[in-house]
Amino acid sequence: MRPQNQSRRSFIKGIIASGAVVSTGGLMFVSGCSENTLSPAAGSVERLISLNINGTVRRVDVLPNETLAMTLRNKLGLTGTKIGCDRGECGACSVLIDGVPNNSCSMLSHRVTNKNITTIEGIASPAGELHPVQQAMIEELAPQCGFCTPGQVISSVALLNNNSNPSREEARQALAGNLCRCGAYDHYLNAVLRAAEEIA
Amino acid sequence: MSTKDMMPNFDLFQPSDMGNAFDLLEQYGADAWPLAGGQDSLDWFKDRVKRPVAVIDLAGIPGMNGINETANGIEIGALTTLTEIAESPLIRDSYGVLAEAASRVASPQIRNIGTLGGNICQDVRCWYYRSGIDCYRAGGNTCYADTPEGLNREHCLFEADRCVAVTPSDTAPALVALDATMVIQNTDGMREVAAEDFFIGPDVDIERVTVLEPGDILTSIRIPSTWAGANYYFEKVADRETWDFALVNVAAVLRVSGDTIEGLRVVCGGVQCTPRRLNGVEDIVRGSARDEETIELAAGSAARGATTLNYNGFKIPLMENLVKRAIRDS
Amino acid sequence: MADNPTYKLIGKNFTPPDIEAKVTGASTYSEDFRAEGMAYVKMLLSPMPKCRVRNIDASEALALEGVYGIMTADDVPVFPNPGEQILTNEPNFVGEPILAIAAVDESTAANALELVNVEYEELPFVLDPLESLYPGGPDAYSGGNLVSSLRIEEEDELGDIGVVSHKWTARDFAAVDEGQLPMGQATMDWQYGDLDAAFNDAALVLDETFVTACNSHHSMEPRSAFSYWQNGKCYVHGSTQSQMFVVPGLANLIGITPDELVYISEFCGGGFGSKGGAYAVMALPAHFSRLISRPCMLRITRAEEYYLGSARASFQGRAKLAFNDQGKMTGADIYIVQQGGAKNPFGDFGAAGTMVSLVYTPESMRFRAIPIGTNTTPCGPQRGPGQNQMSAALEPLLDKAANALGIDQLEIRRINASNHETLTGGENRQKVSSSYMLDAIDMAAERFDWSNKFARNGERNGSKVIGVGIGQGYHSAGIAGFDGLMRILPDGKLHIHTGVGNLGTYSYASTSRVAAEVLDMDWDNCVIERGDTSKHLPWTIGQFGSLTTYTMSRANYAAAMDMKQKLQEIAAMDLGGNAEDYDLANETVFNINDPTQSITYAQAAQRALELGGKYSGEDPNGTNPLTQASVAGLAGSGLIGVARDTTPLNEHISAMVATFVMIELDTETGNYEILEFVSSGDCGTVNHPLGLVGQLRGGACMGIGMARSERQIYDPQNGLPGSVGLYQAKPPSYLDVPAFMDVSAVDQPDPTNPMGMKGIGEPPVGAAVGAVLAAVSNALGGYYFNRNPVTSDMILNAASGREQSNSPLQILTQ
Repeated sequence: MRPQNQSRRSFIKGIIASGAVVSTGGLMFVSGCSENTLSPAAGSVERLISLNINGTVRRVDVLPNETLAMTLRNKLGLTGTKIGCDRGECGACSVLIDGVPNNSCSMLSHRVTNKNITTIEGIASPAGELHPVQQAMIEELAPQCGFCTPGQVISSVALLNNNSNPSREEARQALAGNLCRCGAYDHYLNAVLRAAEEIA
Repeated sequence: MSTKDMMPNFDLFQPSDMGNAFDLLEQYGADAWPLAGGQDSLDWFKDRVKRPVAVIDLAGIPGMNGINETANGIEIGALTTLTEIAESPLIRDSYGVLAEAASRVASPQIRNIGTLGGNICQDVRCWYYRSGIDCYRAGGNTCYADTPEGLNREHCLFEADRCVAVTPSDTAPALVALDATMVIQNTDGMREVAAEDFFIGPDVDIERVTVLEPGDILTSIRIPSTWAGANYYFEKVADRETWDFALVNVAAVLRVSGDTIEGLRVVCGGVQCTPRRLNGVEDIVRGSARDEETIELAAGSAARGATTLNYNGFKIPLMENLVKRAIRDS
Repeated sequence: MADNPTYKLIGKNFTPPDIEAKVTGASTYSEDFRAEGMAYVKMLLSPMPKCRVRNIDASEALALEGVYGIMTADDVPVFPNPGEQILTNEPNFVGEPILAIAAVDESTAANALELVNVEYEELPFVLDPLESLYPGGPDAYSGGNLVSSLRIEEEDELGDIGVVSHKWTARDFAAVDEGQLPMGQATMDWQYGDLDAAFNDAALVLDETFVTACNSHHSMEPRSAFSYWQNGKCYVHGSTQSQMFVVPGLANLIGITPDELVYISEFCGGGFGSKGGAYAVMALPAHFSRLISRPCMLRITRAEEYYLGSARASFQGRAKLAFNDQGKMTGADIYIVQQGGAKNPFGDFGAAGTMVSLVYTPESMRFRAIPIGTNTTPCGPQRGPGQNQMSAALEPLLDKAANALGIDQLEIRRINASNHETLTGGENRQKVSSSYMLDAIDMAAERFDWSNKFARNGERNGSKVIGVGIGQGYHSAGIAGFDGLMRILPDGKLHIHTGVGNLGTYSYASTSRVAAEVLDMDWDNCVIERGDTSKHLPWTIGQFGSLTTYTMSRANYAAAMDMKQKLQEIAAMDLGGNAEDYDLANETVFNINDPTQSITYAQAAQRALELGGKYSGEDPNGTNPLTQASVAGLAGSGLIGVARDTTPLNEHISAMVATFVMIELDTETGNYEILEFVSSGDCGTVNHPLGLVGQLRGGACMGIGMARSERQIYDPQNGLPGSVGLYQAKPPSYLDVPAFMDVSAVDQPDPTNPMGMKGIGEPPVGAAVGAVLAAVSNALGGYYFNRNPVTSDMILNAASGREQSNSPLQILTQ
């Protein structure tokens, strides 16, 4: 079968031949939205919304059926938030919504227009100084494959914000929604307790 | 079979008052989908099995959140999160069975957004049904679980009617145990339904699990003070301690005076399509001493009348044991 | 673990260079890449376990705005049956990709897929190998149920001669009791020792039929891939455990030569065996990108990962074990029928035999096995493939034997433990290079306080009962023959090029430290080059099979020795004397007799550029062609050290772990909590202490999952998989594993490795699953399930005297 939209083909070929076009993080196109979306019904949500992410208000074009994880990753270049299951089962996509850990894969972006969203990219200081949780995870060699790590950091930071001196059991309960298939649970718990000491 | 996780297109409405929400529900009828926490809804959309035209996000409607004391108990907004319920001092102190049930739902992240209303209204978790095949509950004319070869470990012991799925909720049995009342509103007004009557089995309607009809919104849950501060017991047995559904759970409240159990309500989830109130157990125990004989009699009768499937026979001893513990250890 | 006094770097912790990116979210996995004009690819999967595509009508889908194109099986190469296909018109498992659509975004692609009309012809399918082996039983593959290369020598290139239809006789099935494994003709059949005498003279004979679970890998990162073409090369960002090992296979899948492929895999979100080499679906975006001239992203969903991401094979097995009155296993007669899956099965069955021979050291042994295709997800390798199923099956049975013989459960393991002289089973028996398993058992037993803990076995507190169990795990842990490549630049920095991949074990870095150790480099002056073939990487083993540490420490040692030799030669050239007069310290080459006579590494690198030839990379030193190409790419940039690890290796490298657990099992709920967990391993010299304990604990978590919750189920009626979400497939969470795990290592060097190192990644899984299952059986007073996982329903049935729901040989069931 032949590709559609032949007219665009030469244009794209030009881009490809012109050198490196691959990036992570950077938003290189205005919108990944489908042009085939039916015109929205009167009274339904606007597509152009503002999201307060990591202290910055970002204007972004969001479909009504779009999850926050997709908006962050595909529209805003914040790919530190990982999609492990897209079903709220693994916690890899955890972000803080007004300080509370949530699975961004199971949250419509339109739900959080008036909230403060913190992603993994917003955990270290703007100057790049690591949060004690991040530093402790490095010292405990907590991440293995690293895919669940942003979610583990988010849940740990939320815990320590509410309880600066958690017991191992409290940490275990607080992180229970973050699966780690590498089985680095012990190391993450060690890191949470180490970070708590650091903060104290 | 296509891949499962991109939601089909829909229009999203975020009404800021109840009236607006009812207008939308009326306008779209069966094509409307009221959205609470979204933890079950979004899965159905991603599966592309449920395909509403209009999704009506209830989160922005004032008054559907929060826990308030009333003259004769408490009223919980249907959109109150499971975390709020699990952590509420009021609920922990007086209605501990509900706090404990809420704390055992899924994971911290789910409890942070999942609502009480959503948790009790969530659809069944039969793996055949969830895989999107054409079973009775999905509008077809067969059940794949209730067959000689069907894998039905999680399925029901009671009240099967073509469908053998069970209620997956942890909080629903607690609400039935507490004799809660569901407050339902629609354009015609408000009605109250006892928790026990709120959940419906396949004999009543095989495509729904509650009495809610198009146009209805569950707005709050009222819990009478009848069982406030009573002894209680909640236990959930599941394969995993996080993010799993009960094989069987039990919620019980007991009023104990001296050695005597003066009154009680005992409810099991995971054994039929609705939370199963164990009237027989209650009758045996009510007015009796909390002794070995009563406990054994009650446990022995807990699963009377069960019809097992090929893989779920273990639910009989499990029910019996959980009832035993509920009466013994509450 | 104490500091190793012999070395400056070996045995010390360090901060791996990639770890900070993991905690900040800056780490980039394959689905994190974006490009202008990129297309999103989504696949249509087979809804049936076996069928034939009769017709595809995609006209409506292609008319949808935003759709760029469609690919079907007609647009991609066909690979020999029963190998994985990129797309196929003859799917043989639910979830096998049939076609794919590329569109402006994922929603559009998903919408378009719903508009494609496919006509299928349904074909008979089979889930149970025994059903397929029965005369007239269905075959899972097109044309057979057994890969013919396992039986005959020749294989046709593309035809169906790659498989044969293998059946047992009705008499084979009739010859056994109900519930016993029949044992017809096998494809693997080896024997050593006098088996008949062992069974005739035995004090105890066990004859047990067992099954083990098929379970998914549950890698947290689904196997997404991103690809584009640029300046005649195909760029692929993939999710693989390995780096260079992927290249030949992936190039073949794309239909290009390795030098036309740039493969980028800087991070991998878990593989556990399922992403060891190239796999078919990762080539799809490359093909699609070539077709529509756009960068193409294929994001794999969680459900897709379960459908096609492969799984550990189920075993249906029979173990006849003979013991003398001391508890020594004198004979083992093992038969394994392996669930083959829908594609070429991995060789779990073969590893199972080696495991038995090395962990239990039976004096005589016969091993028979056969893998038979099933219309289930492909059965690929999963962390300890074969070995760990055997730990699950046999560790509880060892206790059964000990109990019957009146022997301590620790003692029966000690008496059967391997030593430095132990031989593998198989056609060519090999001696192990070293085995400190007895030390590992004793170390763990002491840390666990075995005798006092075992005294508590069966202790009751209301409905709760204590169970104590021991498990043992084994895996081969090293091979030889791969390449090392490094260079010193004129700025004095050592760049170590490694092609092993980044599975999360940090062994890419810890084995690179071997080179730094040999060259006495400050670790801060070392740079690891990895993650992208355009960085000129050597041909190295992939990250799998517990192989990296042993294999790559040898290869990097070889290349570092080449570097050392060159440094000595350059110094001798400039400062006089012979190369042997010089040694290395503090990043200088100095004359042993007059240490003031020295040059720095930086100076040596500068001299290498002037000298040219082998010093600056004009001689690839007999390495693999892929390494040679990399050396050529680096030529002229500095002093090059490159070598193949040619030191002969004639022994079998074996790593083992012993695990002790204490559980509290509630007979009223069938649940249990693991109260104590102690593990000790034999992994040779400890290289990276934190990395090691991470592997021991992480492997244990997987073993605990195997023991208590993980399994793939398939509906016998329609072949539909039922474990396609995490809550259905049930990998353990924080709350399902112990809150603390005590892990340690014997830390004794292996004589065949220059630094004494061996691998350790896989044995902890088997040791944990064995220990937990043994503890459950002990808690129940010697109730043997002969099945994993043991779930609460099974425990309840056992505790309440009910019959189990499954028949003994049933697999893929609840």
